[in-house]
Amino acid sequence: MEKENLPPVSFAVLDQVLDLARANSLWPVTFGLACCAIEMMSSAMARFDIDRFGAGVFRPSPRQADLMIVSGTVTKKMAPVLVTLYDQMPSPKWVIAMGNCAISGGPFVFEGQYNLIEGVDKLVPVDVYVPGCPPRPEGLLEGFLKLQEKITGKRRFPGPVERW
Amino acid sequence: MVNKIKAELQAAFADLTIAEESYPQCGYHLSVDLKAKDIVNIASFFDERSFYLAVELGVDYKEYLELVYIFSIHSSLCKVKVTLKLDPSQPAAPTLSKIYDCAYWYEREIHEFYGVRFDGHPDLTYLFLHDGIDFYPLRKEKIPVSEKDKQELNSYSPAQRDDSLFINMGPQHPSTHGVLRVVLKMDGEYIEDAYPVLGYLHRMQEKMAENRTYYQFLPNTGRMDYLGAMSFNLGYVTAVERLAGIDVPARAHYVRVIATELNRICSHLLWIGAYLADLGGLSPFLYAFDDRENIQDVLEAVTGSRLTYCYFRFGGLYNDVDDAFIAGTKAVIARMRGRFALYEKLVGGNLIFINRTRGIGVIEKERARKYAVSGPVLRGAGIGVDLRKKEPYAAYPEMDFEVPTGKNGDALDMYHIRIKEMETSLNIIEQAIARLPDGPFIVEKAPKKLKPRKGDLYHVVETPRGELGIYIVSDESDKPYRMKWRVPSFSNLMIFPELAKGNLLSDAVAILGSLDLVIPEIDR
Repeated sequence: MEKENLPPVSFAVLDQVLDLARANSLWPVTFGLACCAIEMMSSAMARFDIDRFGAGVFRPSPRQADLMIVSGTVTKKMAPVLVTLYDQMPSPKWVIAMGNCAISGGPFVFEGQYNLIEGVDKLVPVDVYVPGCPPRPEGLLEGFLKLQEKITGKRRFPGPVERW
Repeated sequence: MVNKIKAELQAAFADLTIAEESYPQCGYHLSVDLKAKDIVNIASFFDERSFYLAVELGVDYKEYLELVYIFSIHSSLCKVKVTLKLDPSQPAAPTLSKIYDCAYWYEREIHEFYGVRFDGHPDLTYLFLHDGIDFYPLRKEKIPVSEKDKQELNSYSPAQRDDSLFINMGPQHPSTHGVLRVVLKMDGEYIEDAYPVLGYLHRMQEKMAENRTYYQFLPNTGRMDYLGAMSFNLGYVTAVERLAGIDVPARAHYVRVIATELNRICSHLLWIGAYLADLGGLSPFLYAFDDRENIQDVLEAVTGSRLTYCYFRFGGLYNDVDDAFIAGTKAVIARMRGRFALYEKLVGGNLIFINRTRGIGVIEKERARKYAVSGPVLRGAGIGVDLRKKEPYAAYPEMDFEVPTGKNGDALDMYHIRIKEMETSLNIIEQAIARLPDGPFIVEKAPKKLKPRKGDLYHVVETPRGELGIYIVSDESDKPYRMKWRVPSFSNLMIFPELAKGNLLSDAVAILGSLDLVIPEIDR
């Protein structure tokens, strides 16, 4: 939230507590688009287990969710549906663009294409981009930690070791 | 069979020119060029002889539009290509939807992509494309959509047609496995009719194929059917190899079979998990994914990806398999053999599961033929056709395996068939590993630039969901002139409205799930 939008009274401590709570109980909406959705499912299953980070409760209804993982290609026919889903989610809400299609149209962009939204950020604000075609579940988990970092301002789990 | 059909065709239609084609080169035995008025009679002729309409497609040759019909038969190997030339300025043809039910959807597709009007077609509403598109995408020149078609583009609103209760399922619905939308017309709790609406994931694959070289299009195949990516990859490379006349070393053939079968098990496992989740049981989902991860580890080590594989190259493979792959595959086989008992306890013998699926969505043989369904859905209906046996490719001719076939054609049968198919796949992999030959894994002089001969080809392979047909027209350049994908889920989905009629709303989910749909494959 930007400075000027804040109420005149400061709730700094309360905000921090709320952010901590929000970041550790994100509820993603069950919203699979294409190939990436399978990897999203994988990251919720036993081996990768996104629930370790507090996001294991996938909600079938957007009205119960605060995180949308856009996992796949967004077509012009799907765009209004996606925007409706986003609008139905209660604030505060976040969006992860998972995979190259959601980021920029990915491998399906060519001259004369007629059915693609080249990047979901043209429709809804995106908080974290996770590249890959499709990204590995570890990639999604890292994107997820990045989102938590963005919400609380502090990374809770150690980051990846930079080897190169 | 081929000679018999040819003789009968000549006897029935006196002024018909029938050409015999080379099956290894073209993928069909006979080709017939027709006038528009004869197509209905020809279709009835094939219908009487229990042929099915494998695919109907359009090709834009600029001087004329061509409609291609491929008729095939389950009981033996005989394929007939029938072509029809249309005037490109005002294309029109008679509809076959009264004879073959599958033509109903194929013609809608051709109508929106080429602007062909089908006389007598009951409903030419757009199926794939979004509102506001103002040209026919697959025409070679940009031709504006006619006023008459524009009305059909924006006319889809079932609720205005009558005042029944309509329920919208999808495009965001957990049990449609992607972005499929089905509009259900209800009578209380019972379904009166169902109208699938497609195109929420139409990624222009066929248009893209015309803009890409044969090599550049390779990675697209894995994204069309992400669960059976290997099968699609294999189908594409074998089709182009057949068209361009590239030989493949024996080792590559065997590795292709191993990789494809491993992927088939992956696909069926995901189906079991997702289907049971549709029916309300989430535990099998976790078990199935656990098994999947083990298989994906093995495949990832050699292909480099977990899901959308692009492992095969024209003339061989991307890289060779090593001992670790063989050992990993053997470990997977040993593990999977022990898991079937668990699945039987968890799912197959579960009374709730049996009661939810027995007698639901029954497909009769005749209906299966009219809708041209394929794969486990067809075998569930009792027609034991497997293209790995009927038209073998890669190293399948040397494999010894059985084709599991159902009796009742209901959702329970489809479950048992897919379980048995996983066992069959394990047997095939074992045989292939035991006989894996040494030698090169890719042909020595793999062509850097492909320019196949002029002509066309219809090549089919068996994917986890059924018959994948690839129709390629080559004009001797390095890009395909036209590439049509006849995808199994598209035909399998067509039968859904018939199956859903008269059933409870909750059973619609059970029926839809039993068909094992992958949406990007339907929408392409």
